[in-house]
Amino acid sequence: MIVIGLTFVLSALLYLFLQEGNAEKTIEQPAQYVHHSVSVDSTRCIATKEFMRANHMRVLNEWRNSAVREGDRIYLASNGSKFEKSLNTCLECHKKNRLFCFNCHMYANVKPKCWNCHLSPMETP
Amino acid sequence: MMNKERRAFIKQSGIGVLACLGAASGLIPAWSLEKTSLPAWDEKPVPGKIRWGMLIDTRKCIEGCQQCIAQCHHEHNVPDFSNSKEEIKWIWKSSYNKVFPTASQQFQSENITGQHYLALCNHCADSPCTRACPTEATFKRWDGIVAMDYHRCIGCRFCMAACPYGSRSFNWQDPRTGIKDPSTAYPTRELGVVEKCNFCSDRLVKGLLPACVEACPQKVMTFGDLNDPKSEIRTLLESNATMQRRPELGTRPSVFYIIQ
Repeated sequence: MIVIGLTFVLSALLYLFLQEGNAEKTIEQPAQYVHHSVSVDSTRCIATKEFMRANHMRVLNEWRNSAVREGDRIYLASNGSKFEKSLNTCLECHKKNRLFCFNCHMYANVKPKCWNCHLSPMETP
Repeated sequence: MMNKERRAFIKQSGIGVLACLGAASGLIPAWSLEKTSLPAWDEKPVPGKIRWGMLIDTRKCIEGCQQCIAQCHHEHNVPDFSNSKEEIKWIWKSSYNKVFPTASQQFQSENITGQHYLALCNHCADSPCTRACPTEATFKRWDGIVAMDYHRCIGCRFCMAACPYGSRSFNWQDPRTGIKDPSTAYPTRELGVVEKCNFCSDRLVKGLLPACVEACPQKVMTFGDLNDPKSEIRTLLESNATMQRRPELGTRPSVFYIIQ
């Protein structure tokens, strides 16, 4: 009886693993290295003002991780337009107001570390 | 002492549990297992498909020429503190016994051992630095480049101890004070992080060759995909006798040298 039970469990477990194996195999095929040559603009905002006010830091964090670590450099906005995942995409427009970042951060007493390395709108001509 | 009835009960209930588990797992259909959405993979690069490498033809390299170093260090805002203890370097020139410390020097011609050789991060296929990093601030990219995420670096310098090529430098002071001619194309680093050559991943994404390759007046360096048998670098590797730095360590460097 024990032997029957054990064989049953083993076969069931094996069946599970085989299923997982099959599921993984199908992933490998469609993946292709695509050299991104999509036209990317920074003339419009990627999302609404209200959304960006609340979530710009999360967006930038997600952009950094996916662009730097996974090489996924193109952001597809909800309206279908494409943007390069880069701090410069935002600053290209927003640096026109040199106090764009600082006004709010000073008011909220937030001290982000971005400008330890990246050039802030204050420092770029 | 356990009586017989109790022993049989435990045995049978055990079998029952096993049978139940077996039945349940057999009945779980494939669709209930977590699936990976395929469209999400479409635009992402495939790890291991590309392995960027460099071949340095030291026969053409002019002794004393620093153009590649100057161009790289300018573009990437590498500071110059003119102090060997606080030196930051991405690409540099060093003597034969420092670049190839374990290569034979017995009865070698003075022309070879006396020359200075270019050295940079080898972007090893089996990189010891990425294993040492406790925060994954340095990591192996999908295209073979050993990259740094300075945001994550905690400055522990384990990677510097792990790197057998001395390719990593630590920012002992604010690097911005040592940059004479800053470039707006690339960020600087900050106090307390380790930095090194990034194989110009910032330029590759724009479709440009690395800065050192482009700056060299002698076309000493050949950059290309080591995984593509038809690439220029692979044909050159096949038609020349080449060497790597300290191959006995098994790090499999992606930078190759033609000595003579």
